[in-house]
Amino acid sequence: MSKNSAGQALGLDVGTSRIVVAQRGGDDFQFESQLNAFVSIPHSKITQAVLEREGIPHTPVAGEIIVHGNESEKFAGILNAEIRRPMSRGVLDATEPESLRMIREILTSMVGANNKERQKLCFTVPAAPLGAEGSLTYHEATLRQILTELGFQPTSINEGLAVVYAELESSNYTGIGISLGGGLCNVCLAYLSVPVLSFSVPKAGDFIDASSASVTGERANRIRLTKEDSFHFNGFFADKVHQVIGVYYDDMIRSLVSALKDAFSRTKDLPKFTRPVPMVLSGGTTMPPGFRDRFEKLLWEQDFPVTVSEIRLAQNPLHATAKGALVYALSDL
Amino acid sequence: MRAQTGSFGDPGKIEQRADRISDPVERLRFLRSQVQKPAEPPVAVVTLRPAARAHRRIPRGVRQIAWLALVVVIALAPGPNPKGAAETSARERGLLVPRAETPESPGSVEWVVPRVWRVDRSENTEVYSNGLRVDTSFVVSNRPRAEYPVYALVGASTPAKTGTTPVGIVYHTTESHMAPFEEGENRHLRQFGRNVLEVIRQGRSYHYVIDRFGRVFSVVNESDAANHAGASVWAGAEGIYVNLNDSFIGVAFEGTTDATDEVTPAQILAAKVLTEMLRSRYGIPAENCVTHAQVSVNPLNMRVGNHTDWARNFPFGAVGLPNNYAIPLASIYAFGFEYDEVYLRAVGDNVKGLILSQKQLERQAAAEHTPYLQYRSMLRHRYKDIAAALKEQSEGGS
Repeated sequence: MSKNSAGQALGLDVGTSRIVVAQRGGDDFQFESQLNAFVSIPHSKITQAVLEREGIPHTPVAGEIIVHGNESEKFAGILNAEIRRPMSRGVLDATEPESLRMIREILTSMVGANNKERQKLCFTVPAAPLGAEGSLTYHEATLRQILTELGFQPTSINEGLAVVYAELESSNYTGIGISLGGGLCNVCLAYLSVPVLSFSVPKAGDFIDASSASVTGERANRIRLTKEDSFHFNGFFADKVHQVIGVYYDDMIRSLVSALKDAFSRTKDLPKFTRPVPMVLSGGTTMPPGFRDRFEKLLWEQDFPVTVSEIRLAQNPLHATAKGALVYALSDL
Repeated sequence: MRAQTGSFGDPGKIEQRADRISDPVERLRFLRSQVQKPAEPPVAVVTLRPAARAHRRIPRGVRQIAWLALVVVIALAPGPNPKGAAETSARERGLLVPRAETPESPGSVEWVVPRVWRVDRSENTEVYSNGLRVDTSFVVSNRPRAEYPVYALVGASTPAKTGTTPVGIVYHTTESHMAPFEEGENRHLRQFGRNVLEVIRQGRSYHYVIDRFGRVFSVVNESDAANHAGASVWAGAEGIYVNLNDSFIGVAFEGTTDATDEVTPAQILAAKVLTEMLRSRYGIPAENCVTHAQVSVNPLNMRVGNHTDWARNFPFGAVGLPNNYAIPLASIYAFGFEYDEVYLRAVGDNVKGLILSQKQLERQAAAEHTPYLQYRSMLRHRYKDIAAALKEQSEGGS
């Protein structure tokens, strides 16, 4: 996406795996995404010149060059290196030394510096992650600072609520939005646009990658590519990697369903709906064919305390959260 | 869509009007404005007027509904619709977030314990579904885990019930010699790690040891007791446990009390997956995963903190646990132990648990209408009776 134009708001989905920016062009929504990842390669003048000539986003850092965004995956594959990420489990990774520098670089490359009037930008944040309130505050404050320095007027929105705003217009923004990302699964129940319950489950796509990698001896990055390229549910796989991915996918879904049931059961002040509410699933982890059916089957096995009218995937699972953030930002204008 | 709680004055009308708005942004803007300005429903407006005449004209049933609506409106008054970013998410998060993960409520995180199972087992290695790898080449037996007593928080010196399976984890440091954690020190690091494992094995000191590279070694069979906790006290939801060798599992980090900041990220990661596995296997509640310094007592001088490993700096959050340092110590409020300067220096800023323990003790004394010192003396007598009974049982059994 080109650098932003003043007068329009932006929606920004800052996910562990990808960052997606959304803006409105007429009646349509336009999106651009970048991997929220980077890889360091040895520094040489020739390499740097080639990267500059090819327009590949990179940052020279003492003795090495860091390639970030979408290209990092390609370089990681070529160099057989593990891809690094500024974020982990939905928030900035305090143990990654290049975390701040890289998130700033990636965000700058995507939304640019806004030199005109302070433009509205709504970015997503996870719901309270388990046992890590402090890291969420730091994460949110840091992103806001970076975006403010870039000249924006940032606001934030819960990821699950963003899914509701993106997908549940037909039910007047009443229903359950779930964003299944890399680090976390974010859940939000909203009633007429009002969020009444939100939480996150710290088991998502990265859990599948890391667990499968640990069992198979493959790199997590390679597992992720296999998962995204050729994994599907309801099928038989002869090779071990696909089998293992299937096992951990199932485990992740079971954990999410169990957490959903538990959270909704334990919440005392939950509104009692007179009509069933819709549930929307979004995020990259929902992409394998058959995911929705598998999720639905496991949810029906539970005695879920809220009557659900339908369980469906977002129209565009990779962009729904950014779209919801944009809808929210625009409604604030 | 209508909710029985009636969060809005008249959700039906609001929905009807919203349905006529085709643009999603405009529709959301409208709905949000209704939340911000919920005065539109006529019942609420009429009811809010203080004029007695107006009040009399309203049927009683409608008045009741209106008052109900007013309560809901007040509850929603701040509205999840602020202008500031931090306020937005903070308010959203603060709405009905399940109270599981805050450090202030350490007893309620069970629902997030992942299901962990053994995936593979070879002669010297066990692999678990959460990535945990356990080296079993050092494992030895000790005496079988005995049936342990569980005491009520107050009352008799006889057990309220007994248990046989582990109900908690105590984290230790090995207090062994440390080499600088540098690549050039590999040989020393490996050698020291190996040496301490041998020592621990001989002493049957812990069930698990995590070396500085994050490798997890099983040392004493889980079905057996390890000699890790000594004189110790902890209270969970089920009651008070005294001398935790039989009731808790001992996990030691290769490291020292004075250098817990040198614990490596690999060790913390290993502790996390090990803790997950143990909690999953035995259904261990989060509040029963504590440090040796929190449970250790000295019955001779009736002071807590006979051992001070992990008196502070234990990475509860990174290990997937709430901040259990905030839990009051049962040794103080249930058995009248004291703390001293040494312990205060060891805990540093982690005094919340101590303060809560002390306050609880004072509240209990006041509730019993007993002078503080006299009340504490009664608690100490109870502890001594229990300790004597346990000693007798232990000597009888050995």
